[in-house]
This record gives sequence, C-alpha cells and structure tokens, in this order.
Amino acid sequence: MLGSRPQSYPPFLLSQPSRREFLARLGGGLGSTALAQLLASDHPPIKGSDGSVTAHHPPKAKRVIQLFMNGGASQMDLFDYKPALFKQAGQRFDPGQGLRVEAPTSAPGTVLKPPFELRQHGQSGRWVSNLLPRLAEQVDDLAFLMAMQSRTNVHGPGSYLMNTGFLLPGFPSFGTWVNYALGSECDNLPGFIVLPDAKGLPYNQKGNFSSGFLPVSHQGTLIQAGSTSPIHDLRAHPSAEYITPEADHDGLDLLHRFNRQHAQQHPDDSRLEARIQSYELAARMQLSAPEAFSLQGESTVTQRLYGLDNTVTEDFGRRCLLARRLIERGVRFVQVWSGTGGPTGNWDNHSNIQKELPPMCASIDQPIAGLLLDLKARGLLQDTLVLWNTEFGRMPFAQSSEGRDHNGGSFVGWMTGAGVKPGVSYGESDEWGWKAARDITTTYDFHATVLHLLGLNHERLTFRHNGSNRRLTDVHGSVIYPLLA
Amino acid sequence: MPFQHSIFRLVIVFFAVVVNGVGANPSDTRHWAYQTLTNPSVPSSTSPDQVNPIDAFIGVRLKKAGLYPSPPADRPTLLRRISFDLIGLPPAPQELAAFSADTAPNAYERAVERLLASPRHGERWGRHWMDVAHFAETHGNDQDRVRTGAWPYRDYLVRAFNVGTSYSRFIQEQTAGDILFPSDPQATVALGFLAAGPWDESSLRDIREDTLDRQIARYLDRDDMLGTVMSVFNSTTVQCARCHDHKFDPISQQDYYALQAVFAGVDRAHRAYDEDPLIHLRRQELLLQRRRLQRSDTNLLSSPKTGREVAAWWSANQQTSIQWTTLIPTQSTSMAGTTLVPQKDGSLLATGALPERDTYTLSFPAPDFPVTALQLELLTDASLPKQGPGRQKENGNLHLSEVQVFLSDPTSSQRVRLDLVNPTADFNQEGWTISHAIDGNEKSAWGIDPQEGKPHRAYFELKTSLPTKQGSLFTVVLQQNHGGGHLIGRFRISCTDVRTPVRILPPEITGLISQPLGQVGSESWNQVARFVLKEQISKALSALPPPSQVYAAASEFEPDGSLQPSLRARPIHVLTRGEITRPGQEAAPGSLSCIPELQPRFQSSQGNEESARRADLARWLTHRDNPLTWRSIVNRVWLLHFGRGLVETPNDFGRMGGTPSHPELLDWLAVWFRDKAQGDLKQLHRLLTTSATYRQQTGPVQAVALSHDPENRLFSHMNRTRLDAECLHDAMMQASGRLDLRMGGSSDKQFDLKPGIHVTPRLDYSKFDIDSFGGQRRSVYRFLFRTLPDPFMDALDCPAGDQLLPSRNNSITVQQALSLWNSAFVTRQAEHLARRLSRENSAEEHQIQQAFEWVFSRAASPQECQEFLQHSRRHGLANTCRLLFNANEFIFVN
Repeated sequence: MLGSRPQSYPPFLLSQPSRREFLARLGGGLGSTALAQLLASDHPPIKGSDGSVTAHHPPKAKRVIQLFMNGGASQMDLFDYKPALFKQAGQRFDPGQGLRVEAPTSAPGTVLKPPFELRQHGQSGRWVSNLLPRLAEQVDDLAFLMAMQSRTNVHGPGSYLMNTGFLLPGFPSFGTWVNYALGSECDNLPGFIVLPDAKGLPYNQKGNFSSGFLPVSHQGTLIQAGSTSPIHDLRAHPSAEYITPEADHDGLDLLHRFNRQHAQQHPDDSRLEARIQSYELAARMQLSAPEAFSLQGESTVTQRLYGLDNTVTEDFGRRCLLARRLIERGVRFVQVWSGTGGPTGNWDNHSNIQKELPPMCASIDQPIAGLLLDLKARGLLQDTLVLWNTEFGRMPFAQSSEGRDHNGGSFVGWMTGAGVKPGVSYGESDEWGWKAARDITTTYDFHATVLHLLGLNHERLTFRHNGSNRRLTDVHGSVIYPLLA
Repeated sequence: MPFQHSIFRLVIVFFAVVVNGVGANPSDTRHWAYQTLTNPSVPSSTSPDQVNPIDAFIGVRLKKAGLYPSPPADRPTLLRRISFDLIGLPPAPQELAAFSADTAPNAYERAVERLLASPRHGERWGRHWMDVAHFAETHGNDQDRVRTGAWPYRDYLVRAFNVGTSYSRFIQEQTAGDILFPSDPQATVALGFLAAGPWDESSLRDIREDTLDRQIARYLDRDDMLGTVMSVFNSTTVQCARCHDHKFDPISQQDYYALQAVFAGVDRAHRAYDEDPLIHLRRQELLLQRRRLQRSDTNLLSSPKTGREVAAWWSANQQTSIQWTTLIPTQSTSMAGTTLVPQKDGSLLATGALPERDTYTLSFPAPDFPVTALQLELLTDASLPKQGPGRQKENGNLHLSEVQVFLSDPTSSQRVRLDLVNPTADFNQEGWTISHAIDGNEKSAWGIDPQEGKPHRAYFELKTSLPTKQGSLFTVVLQQNHGGGHLIGRFRISCTDVRTPVRILPPEITGLISQPLGQVGSESWNQVARFVLKEQISKALSALPPPSQVYAAASEFEPDGSLQPSLRARPIHVLTRGEITRPGQEAAPGSLSCIPELQPRFQSSQGNEESARRADLARWLTHRDNPLTWRSIVNRVWLLHFGRGLVETPNDFGRMGGTPSHPELLDWLAVWFRDKAQGDLKQLHRLLTTSATYRQQTGPVQAVALSHDPENRLFSHMNRTRLDAECLHDAMMQASGRLDLRMGGSSDKQFDLKPGIHVTPRLDYSKFDIDSFGGQRRSVYRFLFRTLPDPFMDALDCPAGDQLLPSRNNSITVQQALSLWNSAFVTRQAEHLARRLSRENSAEEHQIQQAFEWVFSRAASPQECQEFLQHSRRHGLANTCRLLFNANEFIFVN
C-alpha cells in the first residue's frame, strides 16, 4: 500500500509556517499547552529564553539507540570472566559468610562453568565470549558497566525497572522522558520509536515504552519493521475502499477550512488550532515515513554489513539499519529489541545455556558490529549514544543441570558513542559474578548517566503526578563519571 | 507572554489564598484539607439569574474579580453538553427538536431528570470510576493473564450509579462489602475495586515463596491497594510515606504501615459469590467456617454443636470395618517395559526400566463372592525414591490417569467393562483428586504430592456388583500417562463384598476412632473433629450450585500455584527506609493520625479475621467527621462536569496539591452532599448541572477573564471539553445507527486472541471484525487488555489501567489525527452513517442536513450544505461523513 498514493501536499500544507514560527505566532494564550504538547515540547521542563528547548547543561549526545536483550543476558558467559566458575564447577555454590543463596524459580544447583571460551580482546583486554566474535573486534570503543544491579530477579518488574525506573507498571519510559525533556528534532516522525523482535513483543509488551503520566505524544511508537504498514493508521484502512487518494486530499482540505471557520467562531482556545495543526503534521508524516522506513536506498554493501544477507541476522540487522536511518532523520530515541516475552526465543536461558545462548548471540553479533562501524564511518557516533542492555543477569550456579536462573545481583551492560570514554570498564562483581561487589551501577545510576550525556540533570527532570514530583530515577541515582570522556 | 501569564496566575492563586483564607475557616490553622468541615452560609443572591447556591458562591468571587457570569448557552448546545456529561452520548435529533420546542420554564430540569434516569447514566459514570480505580481485565506485567471474572465489578459500578447507591455505602461496599453486607452478593463483587489494578503474577504466584522478591512484591501489592483507597476516597497521597514520614503532609511512616496492616490478609484472586443472596450467604458462612477450621480456631472446635456432631460421627464410623480380600495376580504386564515383581504380601514392586509413561495390566481369578468394591493400596518401599510409593525420581510421586476394570466370562471370549463409581482416597493432591482416575480423561490424574513417603489407599465401588461365575477373570488396568516417570512403585489390589457404601478414612483417623470416645485426649479429639468438620463443610459446599467468580480482594480463594490464601493477616513491619531487609516494629491496623476527630488506630481489628480491619477502615473513611471524604467526592464530580476541579488535583489535597479556588463553596457542597443529599450522587449531579454556572456559554470569553483568569478558575464561562475516547467511540456508533444498547455481562474482546508462547496471549486488534456482534456495544463493555491496549482508544487517551487516573489528559496528537482520519473503526462508521443517511433521505441536501444534526446536534447553514454537498457529489457521502467525524465541532463540546 505504501507509496501507491500520489505524493503531493494538500493545498493547506504548501504555505504553512514552520512549527517554530507557528509556536511563536501563537504565543502564550489560552490553552497554548495543547499546541506545545502536540509539537512534542509540552511546557518542557527546560526552555531557552526564545522558547526553544535547551538542556540543563551542554549535551554530549543528541540521540540514543538502545539495544535491549530481553530475558536477562548471561554476564558470565559473555563478558564477565570468572576463573572461579571453572575451578569450582560442579561443587555446591557457597559464597561463605553464611550468606543465603536463593534463586527465584528454582533450587540453587552446583556451580556451572561457562560452556564457552572467553578471551581477552583489543588494547583494553576486555574479556568477550567466542559467541560474539565481531563485537569482540570493537571492544576498544566500548565502555563496560561490569557490576550493574537490579532490585528484582523477576522479568516483569525487572523490565519495568530498566525501562521506566520503577518496579511497577504505569511509569513513563526512558525514551518518553528523553523526548519530553528535549522535544523532537523532526516534524514528520515520532520522537521515540520502538523496533520489537519480529517474533513478538518483549515482557510487559507495550508497558515498557508507555508514556505513563507524561503526554501521550511522547510514548514509544511501535514500528513493525518487516510490515508493509509500519506505522499504525498512517493510511486509510484498506477496508475503506471509498477513500481514494483524491478523496483523501480534498477531504483534508475541506476539513481544514471547516475547522478553521469553527476556530474563528471560537477564538481564544488554541486547542482548536492545535488539532488543525495535528492533521498537517500527520500529512507530513504520511509523506516522509515511507522513505524513512524503506531500506531500498541502502547499498548491498551496507545491507551486508548489517547481516541482511543472512537469515540468522536478517531481522535484528534490518532493525539496526532502520535505527540508523531514523536517528539520521532526527528521531531522538530508538529502542531495538532482541527476543520476545515467554520462556524461549530470548535471553532467558533457564534450561540449557549451551544450547540456548549461541543462537541469540549469532542473531545480534554481526548486526551490532555493523551498526557501530556504520555509525562511526558516518560520523554519527560523535553525537549518538549506543546502549547495550538487559534487565538482569544470570546465576553462577546451575538451574537443573545446564541452565541459569535470573540474577538481579549483578549483570553487564555497555555503552559507546557520544561522550563515552572508549575502552574502559567500571565496576566489578564478586568472584563468581553472583553479586555486584565494587563500583556498583544501579539502574538509577545508569539512567542518570545517560540523561547526563544528553545534557539533562536527572534530579531536575521531574513531572508532578498524584502528589509526587516523579523522576526517571525515583529518589536515587548518581552519574558514573569514570565512564565519561 | 508566558511570563505575564504566570504572573496573572500567581495573582489568582494569591487571591484564593489570602483573600479567602487557605481553607473555609480562617481560625483553623491546619492545612485546609484536614480542617473540620464548615458550613458556610450561602452569600445573598446578587442577580436574578442565579439559580442555586452554587451561583451565589461563584457570583461573589466573580464580582470581586471584576468579572461577570456569561449568558446561558443556547438550547442545542446545552442539550449536547448535558447529554455527554450525564450519559456519554449526544442527543438524538428528535430529543433535540423536542427540547428546542419545549417552552415550559422547567424544560431543562426535565431534560436533566430524563438523563439521570437513563440506564446510560450508570454506563457513563461507571466508566469514570473505572479510571479512578485503574480497572483493566488483565494482570499487566510480564505474565499478562486474562482475569475472566473482572467484568462483574464493572457491572456493579454501572448498577450502583444507576440505582443511586449512597456514597457512604458505595465506599463501604468497595472496601469491606463482604463483611459489612454479607447477605448482598453485589457488596462482595464491589471488592473488585481493591483488585482492579495491576498484579505481578511472576512474583506473587510463580517464584519461590522463600525469596525476598516475593516479600517485596507483597508489600508493593498492598501498596497499590491502600494507595488506591486513600487517593480515591480521601485525595491523600500516603504512598510517599513508605520510606520515611511524608515530606509535606502530616502522614507518618507509622500511618502508612498501619494502612498496610489493614490489607495484610487479602490477595487479589477470583473469589466465589452467588447471585442468589441466600446461597451467597450460605457459601460465605461455609467458607468462613473452613478458614476457621484451617486455623484450628478453638471456638469452633470446642463449640457444643461441634461436640455433638463429632460424637455422633465417631460412633457411626467406629463400627465400620471392612474385610478386604487381597487379589493375587496370576498375570501382570507393563506396556512400557517396567518389571513388576510379586512380593510376599501380595503386592507388586515396580523395578528395572523407568519409562516416562506406562500402563500396568493385572489379571486375577474372580473371587467366589459378589464383589462390590475394589481397593488400590499404594505402598512404600526402600527401593523407591523417597520411599515411594511412586517412582518419580525427585519426590516419589505418581499420577494415576485412569483405572479400568474388566470381567471376562470363561464361557465366551468376551470381556465386559465394569463401571466404577464413588471413588475415594485417603489423600488427594491439590487439583489431582481421585475422581480424575475414573473421569475418562487421560490428561487428568490422581496424585499424592506432598504426602509421599507413606502408604495411601484409594477405593472404587462397582456400579453393579456382579455375582461371578467360577473361573471368570478380573482385569485391572492402571494407566499412568502423565509422563516424567510419575509411575506407581509398589501396590496391592483387594476387593470386598460389603453392601453399604463405605468410605476410606485416613489410617490415623481409623486408629483414633477405634478407641472409645471418652478415652481419647483432647489433641486426638481435635484431630477427629477437624476431619469431621472439614468433611461436612466440603460436602455442604459441593451441594451448592456452582458459584460465580469475581476478581476481587480476597482472603478465601482456590489456591493457584504458590498463591495461597493467608489464614491470618500477615505480619506487617514498619520497614526502615522502606527496605525489606530492615523490618522494624510490627504495625497495627489503622489509618491517618492527622484528623483529630477520628481514631487513628483500629483497636477492634486485631483479631484473627482480616475483614474486621477493612470494615474498620470503611467506617473510618465514611465517618461524617472525615472532612477529606466529603470534600474529595464533591470535587471529583465537579471536575467531571465543569472540566476543572475546585481543587485541581483530585487525588492530592496535600500541601503539594492544588488549593481550592472556592473553599467556602467546596465546604458548603461537601456538607450539603453529606447531610442534605445523604450522599445521593444523583442529587449532586442535579444541583451542579442545573446551576446557572453550569449553563453558561463557553465563549466569547470576557477580555478581563482572558487576561486575569486565563485558566477560568473563577468560572466566568463554561469550559470547552474534548470528548474522551468512549464518548467519541459511542457517539460515532450512535450516529451510524450501529449502537447496540445491550448491557452487562462478559466483556467484548475486540481483537483476535490466540494463546501466546507463555502466559500472555497474542492479540491482534486489526483482525477484529468491527461489524460483528461483539463490536456494537458501548465502549464501557470493551475488554481492557493492560499491556496491549486498543490502539484507537489509546490514541484518544483511554487509560491502560496501570496508574490511578484522577482525570483524563485529553491530548491532541499526530497519532490521534491519524487514528481518527484513517482507522478501520472511524472509516467504517462513516460508511454506515452514509448508508443510513441515504436510506432515510432521498434528497441529497436532506442527507447533509441530517448528518449535521446527528454529528453536531445543529442544522447546517446553506453555505455549509452547499460545500459538503459538492464534496459528496465528487467523492461520495461516506467521505463527507468521515470528514464530519474528524471536525473540531464534533470532537469538542461547547
């Protein structure tokens, strides 16, 4: 369906002021917030003297691509090399000091050694599993958080915590906060785009990218990358055969005139004007979205770089490439998911690490390496932040005999790009990777650090809701300065 | 401009605060919300246009600010406004015509009465309350399971608003209806309120009981319940006191944990109720008795009634003694290769290969007496895991899927299947009862977990006892199809010819009652009494018709995984800094301490039954001296009618919340509602909507108001509102002639639903047929799926039910424009409207005229008619209808 309609602007679009001009023209007046909200800059918490959006401090990063491994990627099998696991394999897991050992879904088993080889790579000597050979070539550009810590060992709350800063549903997501604070850089695409795994949505489904109590215009827009209609309702539903391109075109024009007349009869309410504008922005999105979501313009070399020529890497690769195209066009926050909810097809490897982890790694290794190389080559890494995350880690001991249970005690994430010191690592887990031991990064610290790179002070980015000044970082969080360039 | 704007806002707030005092009573120095309610006298009327006391209060403030009330809106505007407000639907053209032609002075009042009496009223206000309660029909979180029994609470709300349940009773029903109104089934359904919010199934049902994650999840679950109650009924944000005393409001951490203790005995679960009040009462009594029994309640066990019943049972069962004849198999086979080794005591021991599943077939010469019953004994053996009696490697359990018995006649080669009835067993695993062994379903089975390591017995009667001929053969087939090596380890089969129905008692009970009643100690007596009462209760319960289920707060429900009802309120500790690892002193049930007229701690509810705690809270909330309750509700209703509250933060009357714009009016309304209206919400609607203030037009706005009161806090004109998602949806359906007014019952799933790979099902809204039967009712009857809400309704700010929502955002976004312009729903309704217009009017002009009446509740001007006619001629009437549904005039209500 896409692209089958004439690509012409309805008459009312031809002589429109830009959104900034429009805002300026409208001024403060009654209900101006409605309009500002429409333009994704709803009384932004931080505003320059000219009304434009600025940050709390000069930002290093302008936009974010977050790669989210759904299910709890195993830190000790991928990055957190622990000799003790090899030495003590098969023995009862005993951290000493009478510490209680518990696992959320199983009885703790014996120490399980990683069934894969981990080797040191690059100048930085980072340990990487042989499951991620392409990524291993680039460790010197990455900054590792080696001792991240969650507050839970359960997927639902864990995913909410990493995505919204709270264990419970209903809070605004990370991408929503960033868009709410900084506004959108483009008129014709949503500011926060989510690219889910082709197999399905992650745990908590859309709960992970909801706008919570922030304006709904900032919620994550779900894009089905492989679909012919990636944006919902971008075109009239195919069942409505009576809607021809001409009817669409003339209809929008008449609607515009009719609404304008109505607004003139009811002055002093800018919501009426905001709705008129919303149709104009929608029309612009109709025109620009197909181009943004089409990969046809990408060279074979580029497509291969992202692994689009291989069925194993094709889905994740396509979405990584889309992420690059979207941030190029001014989208503020793109989240690319690996893995769906449920017991399989994700990073939640309870029953057999040796069988379940390799295919997940194979699906992301080339695409992520390709994305990093491509962003670097295009100079985009200078003001783009790339994050690799998961909701928690896994246990050093076995579940049944060959799997690992959830472990919020310690896990690994990495970041690279704008403002990030390359080739460093921060924090250390205990000798088994069971609990974070030194220089711990809580989820709050992680969010505070990313907001900092975007020029935002996490303690000042607040929104009042049901009696509390809500923050992405609740009442916690410190910026992890050693990671910053 | 924005700078000036905020200065003026400051002036207004200052005006509200200084000129009128913070609260209505200047001598009371407490924060306004906690002050005792005053009963201010109504200012004397300054204008003949003032209809009721509201206008007098509003008028005084307008006058002080140099403003005037706006003239009343015209009749079509008024009727459209009041219709959406009271029933959530636009007026039908004939209603509009009748109202416009009605010259009687009370025409408007009669229209209000008609709407208040409409069943649609409960649907509209029920939906408001669903927002407030953050109601949805799935759990949310990673295991977003469907709550099949959530909808009865929605029906409860619709009914409560329609019949006009008093607000006190409404609060009491939703907090403690089960205990306060035990003979009213709907009062139990009302507890759906406490369970309406999300629930973390992984943490509360699936993970291990002994984890910190489970503990944390329980505190958070109660946090949602108490937060809902206090935000909704008292506009107070107590949750801020979870980690420390409230920073801004006089709410201590002790108060917070006192509220945790109120809900310490309930979980969210499907609980039984009965539409028939008598059956409901009976079942609830039995369930309560069962709880008391499980708690070994001494009052119950030592009651004279129990004494008499136990004594009678004792002597009746003491004499029962059955002679069982062991059947020694002449042949025993295993289908899957197990070796069955005969033992000296006539039993068989399974050894050798351990297949996943197996079927044992045993043949015996039929005894020379008419067999009436068979007994299967499961025996322990040192060679079996955990002593058996099963072979399951980890726990020694087994699953017996089906037992079949055949009789072979020696004279012919035919064998006859013998029907088994009345199965009993000395122990049944939860959900794996003995009846499953003869239900013909190979997937269900009998099990004995967690009572492995000891022998068990099951007994089956033959439907017809058979006199047997010499030489005939019994064949017993034991199917064990569950898998995972859940196989019988050692067993013996015996039979009897006893006549009367007999039953198996657990060996310990048999042992106890073999002694004379007078000679047993009290512990033994109690053990028998517990057994007898348990049996009586189960029997009485199973004699009742199957109950209905409502998803609600419950202390009594069927266990589900590790989600088990708690027999007593769980101990609640004041958590230092809110951390689970730092429990402080134990908290007693109670509520806020900052209202001196009310007792902060509930002394009466420290007994065993948790419901007494909720009853105390319900009484505390509805006490006439609780000023928060009465101020809260009148403000909530005011906000929904006027588009702006007298206090702008309906869930937060604390120091960080809003300040009342009209403190005297707020108090006057609260006292009037409590005393004069006796908590009747319909009277409150009537008072508000018949005021001259409500009837004002939305514009033009006076210049002074634009500059000095841009947010219209003084109500110098009516606020224009954007229709919410439900009103838009339903109004389009009404215009298109497709609206089906069927009420109640299970929700319409307007999506394609398939099982997911785990708990959360797969949903596809795009595959739903909009024209199907399930797509035609009012949107209040839509099924609400938390983690995947309907994209159309979502774009129009319909909440997902994750957070308490004091008022809708009603935003304006690009996605919303796309949804209204392109979605299958709108484009389809436009098509239906066009068909309806063509059906009812032959002249094209009339079609356009009627479209305007249905969509905008007004006539089209000649110029408009001309313009839209042209559009229709070029592109068809449906394209014009699509346009009307997208017009600001339709989306907004003046």
